[in-house]
Amino acid sequence: MNSALKIIVAREYLERVKRKSFIISTILMPLFMVAMMALPTVLMVMSGPEECRIGVIDDSGKIAQTLQGGDEISFTTITDQSFDQAKESSEFDAFLVIGPDVVANPNASITFYTQGAPSIQTEQFVSSQIENTIETIRINNSGVENLRDIMKSVKVDVEMKTFRLDKEEETETSSMLSYGMGFMATFILYMFIMLYGNMVMNSIIEEKNNRVLELVVTSVNPTWLMMGKIIGVGLVAVTQMLVWAVIIMIGSGWVLPMLTSMAAGADGSMMAAMSQLTDLTFMGQYLLYLILFLIGGYFFYASIYAAIGSAVDNLQDASQLQTVAILPIILAFVISMTVVNDPNSSLAMWTSFIPFTSPMVMMARMPFGIDGWQMAVSLVLLYAGFVGMVWVAAKVYRVGIFMYGKKPTFSDLIRWIRYK
Amino acid sequence: MDNILTVEHVSKTFTNHQALDDVSLQVPRGKVYGLLGPNGAGKTTLIRIINHITAPDSGRVIFEGHQLTAADVAHIGYLPEERGLYKKMKVGEQAIFFARLKGLSRREATERLHQWFDRLEISSWWDKKVEELSKGMAQKVQFIVTVLHQPSLLIFDEPFSGFDPINANLLKDEILRLRDQGATVIFSTHNMASVEELCDHITLINKSHNILSGSVDQLRHQFGDNTFELSYLGATDALAAALQPLTSSLVVQNSEGQTQSVRFAIASGVATRDVLAAANAAVDIRSFVPQLPSMNDIFIRTVNASNQQTSTPPAL
Repeated sequence: MNSALKIIVAREYLERVKRKSFIISTILMPLFMVAMMALPTVLMVMSGPEECRIGVIDDSGKIAQTLQGGDEISFTTITDQSFDQAKESSEFDAFLVIGPDVVANPNASITFYTQGAPSIQTEQFVSSQIENTIETIRINNSGVENLRDIMKSVKVDVEMKTFRLDKEEETETSSMLSYGMGFMATFILYMFIMLYGNMVMNSIIEEKNNRVLELVVTSVNPTWLMMGKIIGVGLVAVTQMLVWAVIIMIGSGWVLPMLTSMAAGADGSMMAAMSQLTDLTFMGQYLLYLILFLIGGYFFYASIYAAIGSAVDNLQDASQLQTVAILPIILAFVISMTVVNDPNSSLAMWTSFIPFTSPMVMMARMPFGIDGWQMAVSLVLLYAGFVGMVWVAAKVYRVGIFMYGKKPTFSDLIRWIRYK
Repeated sequence: MDNILTVEHVSKTFTNHQALDDVSLQVPRGKVYGLLGPNGAGKTTLIRIINHITAPDSGRVIFEGHQLTAADVAHIGYLPEERGLYKKMKVGEQAIFFARLKGLSRREATERLHQWFDRLEISSWWDKKVEELSKGMAQKVQFIVTVLHQPSLLIFDEPFSGFDPINANLLKDEILRLRDQGATVIFSTHNMASVEELCDHITLINKSHNILSGSVDQLRHQFGDNTFELSYLGATDALAAALQPLTSSLVVQNSEGQTQSVRFAIASGVATRDVLAAANAAVDIRSFVPQLPSMNDIFIRTVNASNQQTSTPPAL
């Protein structure tokens, strides 16, 4: 590697990684994500059943005696006064009124009155007790022996196993999982390109504003400088992603068990899907392609961002030209979201060849199975597109970095490409 | 003469704007060469071409006897007019970064930097970030960055802007010291006083053309118009009468005390010694000094003349 390029890359990387803002955002971002994952659990724990004294008026005479209070909830059967009278006293926080016909028609006969909105926990606590009681009464009334065991034995929970027929080796897949994986990968690509493409652009605008650029280009060919920036920021991206991955893994190792223990009967099909993630060959292959498309897509878009950054003086001016980069990224994201419904449509196929959209669309399609040749063509076109885009961006960059004051139009950029 | 750099018929056009039109110049080795001209004349474009940042549309640049290549910039040190350093980087680290880009090893760069920092007494800045420095301090750092790799050709674009007089002097001494050590200096400025002090040769660029080139001494004599100042003791009327046929535009200077003085231009075809003889007969001569125009005068006169020429509509 060219030694000047190495020096540029090293500076770009170290300067960014050493910055306080980088360190803070690298650590805070995953903590934030883990916190988001943990939030529902925490909220559930926090809003546990509050203290509630419930007065029960049971006209059926069958339920009240079976209700069992908990740590916070207590039941008191009211027999000596009417509901209207009891309401006046401050003895109770809530009232449970049960009609005489409760066993036959529970939905019409049970009413729960509370001061303010009841917590979901309290409501569930009460209703599940009543349900159990009524169920027991009904089973006993049926006269069938061992009905409870019979009911257990007939209950089914269907988990389908889906097999793909087009592969030589029948791989077990789940289209839900394919969808999820595609979405994750597309989203990672989207974030990566937007976030770090912007970083490249900002870095160039900053250098231009500092006027340090003129000094640097007396020692380095502008094309090398641009490449150095793109590679340097790319390495920053990889570092940040790795740190995030590690923190999230550790974080979710702590949070997930909490979640599953709370939601005790976790969805069985979800568990089955998770187990498929252990299909290492497929995952390895997928990861490899993700990395290839990530690199290609990043370089492709980062050079567009670099060209834009070199053409303008400040971020405000950049916003207009930026649509050149942002529009296709968003378009690619939207197409990726739709192609999963029909991964082999012609829209899906063509957009996975065009370098502007191919990384994201390909990653969304891949879990559904893609012919090898399509993969190859897409990658070749992407990397050819990347080389072409770097060449174009370098031309614009070389001229743009010395243009101050005037806000360039898109046609200016085209003209710069033709400068000697 | 041994020229380190020759610019041959260089032209450069940007969209709708010709920055340089057939500009040629020779920069002699070991001299300070002034590149003068009004704002927007094309100086910076020429400097960028010499720095191999942009390529000329036509013409060529010869450096050390061969056509300029990208590798040659390692022998050139450039201080741009718009100064800039990475604000968030520490001074020492930053200087090492630029030195390494010019091909120095980290060890070598560090060694030389410490020498320079000691010389300019700024060693305590090593670990400061550039944004913590004042403008003048940052300029010093930038100067060191420019010369650290011991280039044989130094290009300074407005080097004194932003310096206080003390530091400007310090910088001037450093520039002359570098020249004495064998470096050639190209020096672009509007400050004509510093041109007289520092430059051996100049080129004046106006509206993308080279309108005047030459050594400073020669040019000043050439533009002198044979003007002299004579101070004397005696009768002004007698002197004026004696000089009348030999000179033009005689002006009596304000004087204090007994010694008086007049300024005049010797008419063409008249020998200086005849003028002196006539004056000697009339008054008691104290001094006789040729009046050289300042570079400022030459600059303004030449640029105005060239502007008039180009703005006059062609005769029918």
